[in-house]
Amino acid sequence: MREIAHLVLVLGLICSLSAGALAYVRTSLAPRIEMQEDFYVRGPALERLFQQPAKELLTEKLTVPVGDQDYPVFYLRQDGEVTGLAVEAAGKGGYSGDIVIMIGLDPRSDRVLGVEIVSHSETPGLGAKVELASFRQQWTGLILDQPLALAGDGGGIDAITGATFSSRAMVEGSNQVVDLLRDHRQEILSLIEQRSADGATSGGES
Amino acid sequence: MNFRQTLTHGLWRDLPPFRLVLGLCPALAVTATAENGLGMGIAVTFVLIFSNMFISLLRKVIPDKVRIASYIVVIATLVVIVELAMKAFFFPLSQQLGIYIPLIVVNCIILGRAEAFASRNPVHLSMADGLSVGLGFSMSLTLVGSIREILGVGTWFGMAVFPDSFEPFGFMVQAPGAFLCLGLLLGLMNAWSRHRGEFFIQT
Repeated sequence: MREIAHLVLVLGLICSLSAGALAYVRTSLAPRIEMQEDFYVRGPALERLFQQPAKELLTEKLTVPVGDQDYPVFYLRQDGEVTGLAVEAAGKGGYSGDIVIMIGLDPRSDRVLGVEIVSHSETPGLGAKVELASFRQQWTGLILDQPLALAGDGGGIDAITGATFSSRAMVEGSNQVVDLLRDHRQEILSLIEQRSADGATSGGES
Repeated sequence: MNFRQTLTHGLWRDLPPFRLVLGLCPALAVTATAENGLGMGIAVTFVLIFSNMFISLLRKVIPDKVRIASYIVVIATLVVIVELAMKAFFFPLSQQLGIYIPLIVVNCIILGRAEAFASRNPVHLSMADGLSVGLGFSMSLTLVGSIREILGVGTWFGMAVFPDSFEPFGFMVQAPGAFLCLGLLLGLMNAWSRHRGEFFIQT
């Protein structure tokens, strides 16, 4: 009995010290990792979606909190009108974790400009095929006024063979964006207006 | 082993992965380019030095029955730290190495050195051992990566080494090329050792 208590104590101590160290490193590096992701992943994705230099697009960022989740939203503004929105969402139910996607759309028509993968940890050769343009182009041109579904679930998206979970996670992420647009459209647009107004009066923030 | 021997044994006598024949998975998987091989080697070296240090420090505290579990916790913690640091400072490299960075946790070299060396030796020797084996591993991976990149893509660390007329031997950067390259190097090293009358690999 004493021996077991000893084992548990030592292992428990090592684990809690490790957990503490990890928590510290994670919180202190999080802002830098976010910056790097913006630069290397979100920037190029935005460039492809909106065909504009990433440098300008990355500064036009706001965060929309819904429940306990934050949705990063990037936007494109032309002549006082929002002409492009890029919403990031973490699609639940991937084979190994969330698939973070970014959907670009034109808020005037809700037509999808394209979908990009921000991060995933799916199996190379199977689930990782969600990155393929041939799969992602199924989103282009869709109108996000109702939830999407895989063909096998009665919808219009053809899943990748052997990677139903990954495909479904992509659809799940897209549906989060559909919900967000349905419930929070006015909020997002007014946040953008507000930010642009602030930027105009203060002569543009860096 | 004295300090000097400990510091140099990983560079030839126990050179991983060729002599130890451990850690072959990353040696095959990430060595499509010299840069990836070097990056992987440095990540492993960092984990090795510090896992050896902590395990050596804790060797009298950790009970024998839970030693493997404790080692794995220490190693996994260090690997996640490396992964986060890589994402924060070398993002493109971390994207390239991808899943193989978290997989350092199950790299046999690290657990092997913890069990065979760090759990029985004082801290300074253990750290020297980690450095030595880690450097050896980095060298080997860079070598395999260089051969595959030069033949398979015609570049070395991204710089062109052949004129444009060179048709790259694309096979080398794919999985079979890794096996071929590693196998030939292993064979050459064994032939050289036999020629010199050294027998490191037990039969």
